Amino acid sequence: MINNILRGIIYFVVLVLVQVLILNNIHFLRIATPFLYLYFIIKIPVGTSQTNVLFFSFLIGLVIDTFSNTPGMHAAACTLAGFTRQSLINFFEGKDLPDGIFPSFRTFGYGGFFRYVISFVFIHHVALFLIESLTFFDPLFLAIRIGASVITTVLLICTVEAFNIEPQKSGD
Amino acid sequence: MRKLLDFLIRKRHWFLFILLEIISFTLIYRNSAYQRNIMFSSANVITGHIASVSGAVTSYLNLRDINKELLERNGQLEMELLKLQDQLDMMRADTVSFVGFVPDSTDEGFSYSFVMADVVNNSVSHLSNYITINKGRKDGIAPDMGVVSERGVVGIVSTVSDCFSVIIPLLNPKFRLSCKLLGSNFFGSLSWNGRNARYARLDGLPRHVEFQKGDTIVTSGYSAVFPAGIIVGTVVDFEKQNDDNFYSLEVELATDFYTLNNVRVIRNYRQAEQLSTEREAKKND
Repeated sequence: MINNILRGIIYFVVLVLVQVLILNNIHFLRIATPFLYLYFIIKIPVGTSQTNVLFFSFLIGLVIDTFSNTPGMHAAACTLAGFTRQSLINFFEGKDLPDGIFPSFRTFGYGGFFRYVISFVFIHHVALFLIESLTFFDPLFLAIRIGASVITTVLLICTVEAFNIEPQKSGD
Repeated sequence: MRKLLDFLIRKRHWFLFILLEIISFTLIYRNSAYQRNIMFSSANVITGHIASVSGAVTSYLNLRDINKELLERNGQLEMELLKLQDQLDMMRADTVSFVGFVPDSTDEGFSYSFVMADVVNNSVSHLSNYITINKGRKDGIAPDMGVVSERGVVGIVSTVSDCFSVIIPLLNPKFRLSCKLLGSNFFGSLSWNGRNARYARLDGLPRHVEFQKGDTIVTSGYSAVFPAGIIVGTVVDFEKQNDDNFYSLEVELATDFYTLNNVRVIRNYRQAEQLSTEREAKKND
């Protein structure tokens, strides 16, 4: 249990710093920005209560917001994505997963994990960019931005996951 | 009753979800206002300091370009100085010197002054971009002050904390700037189209104005924020607007927001006076 909490805190701090110090400055072709911090929500162990998932999603969104001057936007999008997380896992992996395992290539299988990540990231990005465009609406450009950012984020998350060598058996 | 309670407890994540979304949207809407909340912006103490550390690191990366720019700017200013010196000498030779003339020492003269600041946080890719700088209330910065770079207009100060300030740059749909063509007095309003950080759009220029591509766009000085005549950009393209009475100009911005490092905040000693006078005038309507 302590292990799990410590691991969560390290993930949180490292991902937030990487996001705000490096990735927020990347605008590939001026349209795509990867949001690696979603990896934190993606890696929350299966079986964590919905309220905790929601709360952590909101928290990391709010912290990212504070750094990137977008009050509420990431928080709203993350809360929505965190809310759908359990249903996505149930949909792609069925309900008979043992509690406490971390979502990963090993536990979900390559296809399963990839589908889970891509749908999760897609929900988050659609929400985020729609909220952002409340001030300024431009449908075609919006679609391009969502598509490009989803691709870069998913690629980055899968790369990090492939190189993540921490023991994957169970949390606790 | 028991069933109802059971139901509520089982579905408690729904309520939490709704609650958190309400909080988020409250933040979004309350902070869309022009004056923003300090706690959740990069002008807050913790985020400001982390951003200024990273800003200090990245500011070394393009020192070469900045150096070149400064040299160029220096050369320009030197040329201007020589020209003015020359004019001054000519004037002096022309006028008979009059020892009895004492200039009015109470005259403030130019009512603007600069505060230099470093950019610690900058974005160009969002729809609403913001810039954070490392000077705040302690250095005499207040909301509504204009901000320029060595090349041209940057934006306007929106939130100020003790040591940091957040600027709304030209690259933000909330910011509109009154501009005119250099050499004429026709003015229009400049806004950003949300796509490319190099270009903005100038609307509302009357049809009969004569100009060509490459003409310079400068601030009009009508806003009490910027003095008149600060370079904003150059015209690269134009088209007629739908209602056919006004031109819409594509303006290439003079300031390069991708490599923005040092800015100057303009303090206008007479801003408060001008605003209160204008308010007074509007009250009589």
